Amino acid sequence: MDTSLIVIIAVVAIVFIIFIGMYNNLIRKRNEVDNAFGGMDVQLKKRYDLIPNLVSTVKQYATHEKELLTKVTEMRAKATSSNMSPDEKVALDNQISAGMKSIMVAVENYPDLKANENFMNLQRTLNEVESQISAARRTYNAVITDYNNAIQTFPSNIMAGMMSLKHKEVFVIPETERQNVDVKNLFN
Amino acid sequence: MINKEELQSLFENELKNKLSGLESMRKHVAKRILGGIALIALPIMLGGALFITIEEKNIESLQWLVKILPFVIIALIITGIVLLILNRKRKKEYRHRYKNEVVHEVVKAIDPEWSYAPDDRISQSEYYSSDMFRQHFDRYKGDDLISGTIEKTDFRCSELHTEYKDVTYDKDGNRQERWVTIFKGLFFHADFNKNIEAKTYVEPDTAERLLGKFGQKLQMSSKGKLVKLENPEFEKIFAVFSTNQTEARYILTPAIMEALVNIYKIYKRRMYLSFIGSRVHVAMSFKKDLFEPKIFTSGVKYEDVEFMFNLFMMNATIIHELNLNTRIWTKE
Repeated sequence: MDTSLIVIIAVVAIVFIIFIGMYNNLIRKRNEVDNAFGGMDVQLKKRYDLIPNLVSTVKQYATHEKELLTKVTEMRAKATSSNMSPDEKVALDNQISAGMKSIMVAVENYPDLKANENFMNLQRTLNEVESQISAARRTYNAVITDYNNAIQTFPSNIMAGMMSLKHKEVFVIPETERQNVDVKNLFN
Repeated sequence: MINKEELQSLFENELKNKLSGLESMRKHVAKRILGGIALIALPIMLGGALFITIEEKNIESLQWLVKILPFVIIALIITGIVLLILNRKRKKEYRHRYKNEVVHEVVKAIDPEWSYAPDDRISQSEYYSSDMFRQHFDRYKGDDLISGTIEKTDFRCSELHTEYKDVTYDKDGNRQERWVTIFKGLFFHADFNKNIEAKTYVEPDTAERLLGKFGQKLQMSSKGKLVKLENPEFEKIFAVFSTNQTEARYILTPAIMEALVNIYKIYKRRMYLSFIGSRVHVAMSFKKDLFEPKIFTSGVKYEDVEFMFNLFMMNATIIHELNLNTRIWTKE
């Protein structure tokens, strides 16, 4: 066989193998993103499951916080019932986070509630879920960054263009959450 | 728990006296070691020299000396060896007293509730369950076991040295053996304040420190997938592997990462950590033997006591920095 023909076949084969590698790599990264989002969703659901319990316990003692409790319950119902896009889910979740924080701050006014064993257990579980959520968010951000790097850097960006993979947004913690809760301000 | 000033006064008021009492014993041991070595080395050198001189110059009148010289040399060497063997017992006794009277006092000063066993060590099953060093060991040594609790967190810590035997054959087929250290230093484990299901390992990061971002690509381990974390300073010092990416982040929160960087800055040692079962394991490498008395230099030194104190405080530092006493999560 002609040597040049062999060379051409070899080059084509190598390019083909590289393309397969890039394709698989990108698919794997995209799946990791989906998987990480799923992991976060699981944790968020755990928090939704805690809300009814928390609300009913707090209600017994904190009679003046009805409005706040109703609001959080409504948000929870919305989050669990409808099919939302990831972005909407994230936005609603941020609101729920803020609501939960307000409840926890309000609780400071009710020493009996704070001493209630059931409530203390709930608080522990909530801390647990919150740290799981934050870990899941960080995982999500890490895999998204990996994915974004892959689809934007050469040469895999060519392949990503052909597969029409889109840039995805990382999680940004809203400004309200990033600040430490200023308890004094809350009571002004 | 005492601070540095209190340690200084403890040293001036109590330990110094005890150490001075031990000093004569130390000198005695040192003298005997030197004597024993001299009894072995000098006859070989002097006798050998004498032997060669007599033979070369062919001094007839001293030929009788050549005949008895080997016996004299052998007799002296045996005396030297006997002296060294007898001295081992004294050396042991010195070490024993040093550990009981000095090291134990320092431990007690830090926390009277802590227990100290000079000849005990972290068990092999504890070492195995940390899963930090998977290389099979042939020799397992260690001493100075300390255990206790700091508030809600119980811990165990000891010096440890594990080695394996490396056998090679050179081109003539001669068997060569050498002992290779797997780990030498302080081994510590404590109750972790969160529930752990997966396995997460933190190891010194050589590749990334030398090669930067490219080095990160080379990081691989059979222990799990590489976990890329957000703290650049932490990433330069450590590489993290885990069987569960999210749990690794649940354990290594931004605060914990910062704490590990702090601990590294305090001790500046190669550090290995693993989070397995309900415990955090920490292994900190040291080249020299720790908590051992010196034989040939004075034992009455504040610096030695301070060094010892700093090592024991490592237990408290890790527990404090990692906030292991904070029990706000579901694990009590």
